[in-house]
Amino acid sequence: MSATTIGEALSARLGHPVAASGPDDELLVTVSSAELQPTVEVLQARGAGHLMLLGMDLRGLDPGAGLAIEEVMALPGGPLVRLRAVLPIDDPAYPSITTVEPAAQWDEREARDLLGIVPVGHPDPRPLVFHGTAADADPVQPLRKIRPAAPAPASPAFRAFVAHGEGVYQLPVGPIHAGIIEPGHFRFSAVGESVLHLDARLFYTHRGIEQLVEGRSFDGALAIVERACGVCTVTHATAFSQAVERLSGTEIPPRARMARILLAELERLYNHVSDLGNICAGVGFHFGTSRLGWQKERLLRCNEALTGHRYLTGVVAPGGLRLALDERGLAGLGASVKEIDQDVRAIVRLLVRSESFMGRLHGTGIVRGEDARRLGAVGVAARASGLAVDLRRDRPAGAYAELDVPVITHAAGDVAARFHVRAQEAVISAGLVRDLAGRLPAGPIRAPLARDAEAGSSTVAGAEGPRGASWLWLMAGADGRVERLHLRSGSFANWPVVAAAAPGNLVPDFPLINKSFELCYACTDR
Amino acid sequence: MPLDVMRRLLSPLREPIISSHYPAAPPLLQPAVRGLPEVDPAACSRDGACVAACPTGAIRLGDDGWSVDAGRCVFCAACALACPNGAIRLGARVELAARDRGDLVIVTPVGQRP
Repeated sequence: MSATTIGEALSARLGHPVAASGPDDELLVTVSSAELQPTVEVLQARGAGHLMLLGMDLRGLDPGAGLAIEEVMALPGGPLVRLRAVLPIDDPAYPSITTVEPAAQWDEREARDLLGIVPVGHPDPRPLVFHGTAADADPVQPLRKIRPAAPAPASPAFRAFVAHGEGVYQLPVGPIHAGIIEPGHFRFSAVGESVLHLDARLFYTHRGIEQLVEGRSFDGALAIVERACGVCTVTHATAFSQAVERLSGTEIPPRARMARILLAELERLYNHVSDLGNICAGVGFHFGTSRLGWQKERLLRCNEALTGHRYLTGVVAPGGLRLALDERGLAGLGASVKEIDQDVRAIVRLLVRSESFMGRLHGTGIVRGEDARRLGAVGVAARASGLAVDLRRDRPAGAYAELDVPVITHAAGDVAARFHVRAQEAVISAGLVRDLAGRLPAGPIRAPLARDAEAGSSTVAGAEGPRGASWLWLMAGADGRVERLHLRSGSFANWPVVAAAAPGNLVPDFPLINKSFELCYACTDR
Repeated sequence: MPLDVMRRLLSPLREPIISSHYPAAPPLLQPAVRGLPEVDPAACSRDGACVAACPTGAIRLGDDGWSVDAGRCVFCAACALACPNGAIRLGARVELAARDRGDLVIVTPVGQRP
């Protein structure tokens, strides 16, 4: 669907001409706050899905401007559509779109917590980032460019949604867990051993990264953004770099273009191998955990040999790569990955043939395809429920356009489906790594930015990471600095899906269900 | 199947030992490893490019010399990339624990303030 048809469809629905600006693959449409909901419905009717919603304070560049809310949707086979509504400072409220687009539920709550933008009619008006505890007593609305004269009204205390009834009991788990994992509070309402409802409360590791990067140079912001979490560094650095390159019209050199894919696939490979091992841990099958843990360690050593960093940090940057790949590491990479791939396949074959192991995986934590779609699931979680979504194929960035990566889907939507999708994707990633390691083009690794990004210009860029598509929204300020940045990681999109997968399962199966998604808390909380 | 698992369980016994006797022996590091930045005092021109480039403010140029704070450094190599003289490299120094916060600041004398 072209930009003109979208403009015509929106004009017909709203009854007045709609101005759409921007490049062909990314349209920025300004609507009034009341028109937001109908425009979302027009796009939904054409198959568009929610990517992210974010709030922003436009007064950093224009003191007379107000706040704004922007909903980004993707039309299948068509452009991204960004619907922006400007809101007055004294009454920053708009009709919530969660009622028509359930996947926007967390985004709207986050914008309210961080900017005081109120989604009127939101079905779940509880705070998301702040928990309404003593520490949040003076909510500062940290992303506002000018602090309000009077403190914002205190956010209401967070209360878990719980089920009531005879024999229903509450089981609080976390935020401090028995293992070395990140903090999250899970409130189970259970009858006997069965979960009736799960309410997850996250954002214990909210560090204010989006506020921290404002006013920094692109290179300074990169160092922070790629450390939003420890295991998606290439994904986030690539999304950020692509956004900067779009704003500055920069073409990156062929070697960097190909090397980014090599690094992204290495990241997917070690994550998938590690996550397969973690599914074994979820059922207490230590044979699989330890054998796959060792394969992950071998991959981390490959990473270190190639980039000097076990988790690939510090290589991808706007304009290409910051650091050259180590020639010795690159020379040995293909052979090492071939060996590791064979060993991983052998271990997976053993696991699949173990009936007692697979018996725990089959039928556990089912997410129906329709639920996955409505909740906006991405990555392995979506593909294991039958949704054929993969940014590498759907919106290929850089050299992915020439690679034709197959999309693996399974229909069952259970833990076993997520296990199989990962195992098959790991094989594909290993093949890509071996292929690309042998034919990286020679030449420079970094190009200078073609021009300064215009102050106030903004764009959206995405990268398919191990946990699904991560999207980064970036607005440039004066002198090539970050005015506003929003990171919607794959984990952020998938957490509501985890909560939806739990009901109907046994409480002791929840660790297994959780591990089959293996989401990251840090890049959700930011 | 049990035979498969047995074979798989026993296979590590045939593999060489790949861990080292750390700390008796030096840690196993890849040649490309990025440890704490080191400066070549002879090549340093005290221009401060590294100080400006460091995203965490870990590097200082003072009267006593060039210092890097291992408690702030994230091993990103921005200093090495920024140095116009190529005086900084990320070495293999990875043992950075200290009993005292001050001991994390490692100073290299680089001549006198001009």
